[in-house]
Amino acid sequence: MTFEIEVNGRMRAVTIERAGSMPARFRVTVDGASRLVDAQRVGDFGVSMLFPESGDASGAVQIAPLSGGGELLGHIGGRTARVVVNGQRTRRAGADTVAAHGEQAIAAPMPGRVVRVLVGAGDAVQARQPLVVVEAMKMENELRSPKAGRVKNVAVSAGTSVEAGRVLVVVE
Amino acid sequence: MKVLIANRGEIAVRIIRACRELGLPTVAVYSDCDRGARHVRDADQAVHVGPSPAVESYLRIDRLIDAARRTGADAVHPGYGFLAENAAFASACRDAGLTFIGPSPDAIALMGSKTAARAVAMRAGVPVVPGTDAPLASDTSDDEIARAAARIGYPVIVKAVAGGGGKGMRDVEYPADLRDAVRTARSEAGSAFGDTSVYLERRLARPRHVEVQLLGDHHGTVIPFVERECSIQRRHQKVVEESPSLAVDARLRERITRAAAAVAASAGYTNAGTIEFLLDEDGSFYFLEMNARLQVEHPVTEMVTSIDLVHWQIRIARGERLAIDPARAATPQGHAIECRIYAEDPDEGFLPSPGLIRGVRAASGPGIRNDGGVASGYTVPVFYDSMIAKLIAWAENRREAVARLSRALAEYEVLGIRTTIPFFLWLVRQQEFLDGRFDTTYLDRLLASRKGESFSELTDGDEERLAIAAALDAWFRATAGPSASAPRAGGWKSVAREEALR
Repeated sequence: MTFEIEVNGRMRAVTIERAGSMPARFRVTVDGASRLVDAQRVGDFGVSMLFPESGDASGAVQIAPLSGGGELLGHIGGRTARVVVNGQRTRRAGADTVAAHGEQAIAAPMPGRVVRVLVGAGDAVQARQPLVVVEAMKMENELRSPKAGRVKNVAVSAGTSVEAGRVLVVVE
Repeated sequence: MKVLIANRGEIAVRIIRACRELGLPTVAVYSDCDRGARHVRDADQAVHVGPSPAVESYLRIDRLIDAARRTGADAVHPGYGFLAENAAFASACRDAGLTFIGPSPDAIALMGSKTAARAVAMRAGVPVVPGTDAPLASDTSDDEIARAAARIGYPVIVKAVAGGGGKGMRDVEYPADLRDAVRTARSEAGSAFGDTSVYLERRLARPRHVEVQLLGDHHGTVIPFVERECSIQRRHQKVVEESPSLAVDARLRERITRAAAAVAASAGYTNAGTIEFLLDEDGSFYFLEMNARLQVEHPVTEMVTSIDLVHWQIRIARGERLAIDPARAATPQGHAIECRIYAEDPDEGFLPSPGLIRGVRAASGPGIRNDGGVASGYTVPVFYDSMIAKLIAWAENRREAVARLSRALAEYEVLGIRTTIPFFLWLVRQQEFLDGRFDTTYLDRLLASRKGESFSELTDGDEERLAIAAALDAWFRATAGPSASAPRAGGWKSVAREEALR
């Protein structure tokens, strides 16, 4: 069985086959390189792996969907990476990981209050340039442009209370 | 004594634990979205106090007092935040015959005004940062403010008199920017505290934030504790705290703890409180403000002194005398460091990441303390501060405490939401942090120098392991059959079956 796995934007083809009669042994091929893996599911999201051909090295990973979009987050030693299996990505994950094209609407990720609007219609903006500051969860949060482009319109002003999903700025 | 805890999250859990240990029954309060929260389950009784927004629940003095009446609670612990430093709440508790586990309403009111608190410090002979002694009234002319700023000397900070948490603060480098800074600080202070009064303070170039915890009983005893170092701040918010401070030697400790105790005594302060100081590069220190409550970072003090501050808060409120050896309180045993773990995405500018927690494995083991307020299956709400836990590491010395903290962070798993754990793992590897060479401007400067790299530094090997695990995970799900119903989108199963048919 072959899976296309994307980790932090890099795609790998991973083929899994049972190896011999031991139930937990797999022959795993990543981009053509093959290795033996002793794999055990642990809990709902955990995978414990041993690599018998690499000095019995142990690797424990959690692959869990993020709340909301269903985007997968891989956890390894306290650090995380976006994981996409067979191209099953959500709209939000797609917008974040693939270079954003065309018109992009920047929406409030949570209910809050617009504290500052940092751009006006017609302004040229850089990728990741802060556009709007929204106060939510007692913090001021900068919402940034997903791409370089021009501000098409600004739908809110300072002081506006916004619901999650409300479009704040459109960048084209 | 039955204690109502007028708070939520990790601090409510922390206080419930202390009450249990002292054999006291507890009453939790909760808003709509917190029905499933851990503090509700951990308490003996729990009372609903309103809808999710804090102003309609955790900030409703009438409903909290009513909850105490209904359950027969005779004491109230306010925790931190919410109503903890609200003199009207402390008064309302007293008027309702409830013991408020904290300072008196007068002390809260006095220390709650930053300019009044500065006056208290000056009376106690403790230096304050040069600044305006009285609040700048809303009708103070621009010229008058400009003259005051010139007298103090630039750069200055405009601060809200009622301030806290970095709100209503503006740095002013040049005289030309003063007018706008005063205006925005006033407007921020007005919306955050309902009070537009501001004052000016000189901004020190590279200060450290060093603070002194203290306890005062109702018999005139005030005991200061070994200092906490809280210079690691993001936008004026503490993110890492430790004790002791590398910048404080025994002689300075003696001076700064004595100064703190003098301020508290001069305010007639009782129960737990903290005096915050700015420590300049030349070793001189200045009174900054007093926090009239238990603080988020109190565990580091508990770890290096083995003294339970919440126990003592309750015992002081019951009228007991402080029976703590002052030398023991002021002498650190080993070193402790705390990280505040937030439901935020550090890779997206620390954007809040509320939502359903699908799994938690808190770090544990030798020298580790986890003060958490969440559990698997709980949804982190959007209505409150996003801190979900505090991780504290203790060891014989700082180097070992950092190593232990690093070990514990790598163990800590929170599934379903993003957290600041990867950020802390990155921070504890920075050379200045390891060397203890930092001041309150360090973290903001460090973050500004980054160019959008992820805090999760993964090797090719890590990424490959993640890829293999993700494929195995998908394989397990595809082959497990209908009994292993996955809580996620069913896309993989069908894809995997198609593959298998080839």
